[in-house]
Amino acid sequence: MRVLVVYCHPVPESFCAAIRDEALATLKGAGHEVRLIDLYAEGFDPVMGCDERRAYNDGPPGDPALARHIEYLQWAEGILFIYPTWWYGLPAMLKGWLDRVWATDVVFRLADGPGRVEPLMGHVVRLGVITTCGAPWWWSLVVGQPGRKTLLRGMRALCAWRCRTFYLAHYLMDTSTQESRTAYLRKVRARLARF
Amino acid sequence: MKVLVLHAHPVETSFNAALHRLIVERLRAKGHDVDDCDLYAENFEPVLSRAERLAYHAPRTADEPVAPYVARLKAAEALVLCFPVWNYGFPAIMKGYFDRVFLPDVSFALVDGKVRPTLRNIRKLTAVTTYGGDRFRTWLMGDPPRRIVNRQLRATIKPGARVSYLALHSMNLATDENRAAFMEKVARHMDAF
Repeated sequence: MRVLVVYCHPVPESFCAAIRDEALATLKGAGHEVRLIDLYAEGFDPVMGCDERRAYNDGPPGDPALARHIEYLQWAEGILFIYPTWWYGLPAMLKGWLDRVWATDVVFRLADGPGRVEPLMGHVVRLGVITTCGAPWWWSLVVGQPGRKTLLRGMRALCAWRCRTFYLAHYLMDTSTQESRTAYLRKVRARLARF
Repeated sequence: MKVLVLHAHPVETSFNAALHRLIVERLRAKGHDVDDCDLYAENFEPVLSRAERLAYHAPRTADEPVAPYVARLKAAEALVLCFPVWNYGFPAIMKGYFDRVFLPDVSFALVDGKVRPTLRNIRKLTAVTTYGGDRFRTWLMGDPPRRIVNRQLRATIKPGARVSYLALHSMNLATDENRAAFMEKVARHMDAF
């Protein structure tokens, strides 16, 4: 399968980076064709500007900096997001990537008829999220897991009708131990081996 | 009351910008001391940097880049958020405000590994927002911004503080009447703030 890995963390030596390396190795080992977008490394600009917002409903975004992102998105059959959960959701960098790249005539079309949105991401049949959370899982549930819902419900609705999803989170990161992190990496490997 | 208004929309002629102007105008007319923080106009940088991440749990200092934003948040007695919902969430520039300004010892403290909310100075919170999608679809997707405001932000500010969430759905289909009615609703809310 063609898998796009979208990775977002500011610190190259972070645990999230270890997850990314584990994920890339496991996916490649399982025979998938893998492409990586490392948002911080490439200095992606997550802020949608005035002109881009004005033209949003008229067609795909014209900024040449987005062309490769759009191409990767259209190439993918599976998308794997790896990021730290901050304030229960996506880091601004990743949220801005959705705002700017998951745009009109890229991931959906405004169809005829009142309020109709036609999904354009039917080629995506797998969506996965691997994340780290400072909060405990029960409080994440109370807040409604905004990051999970945004990606695995909101964005999934634009993908294939039978698109399958998974969500792996390491909770209580601030009190994590070497053992808990090693065990989590094992879990990541096992889950991605059957991506 | 000292009210911090946070606004996030790039287009000055947008409906959201009109809501923002209305909010500030009405609050000032009622004698509130408004700190108007227009994140786009102030060119707020929403990306939490490597240095900030590494210093995240260190004691806060007066010379860190977000210190002025921290001071404004701590000086506020009420908070009003005015933003459009994009892809079931805050625009990145506003999400980045929470990432970078809602820091340990600002909005929460870690005491024995447990989180204690510390934004007790905020006694009132109102969100004013617009959605492209309809109410049912938004509900189906779990409505992340509503949950964040009603649950997580509510738990971060003064216990028992009043939290309001004013939303206009189906913006892409909204008529002049819908928009005018929503403006009226927001104006009434601000008059009684």
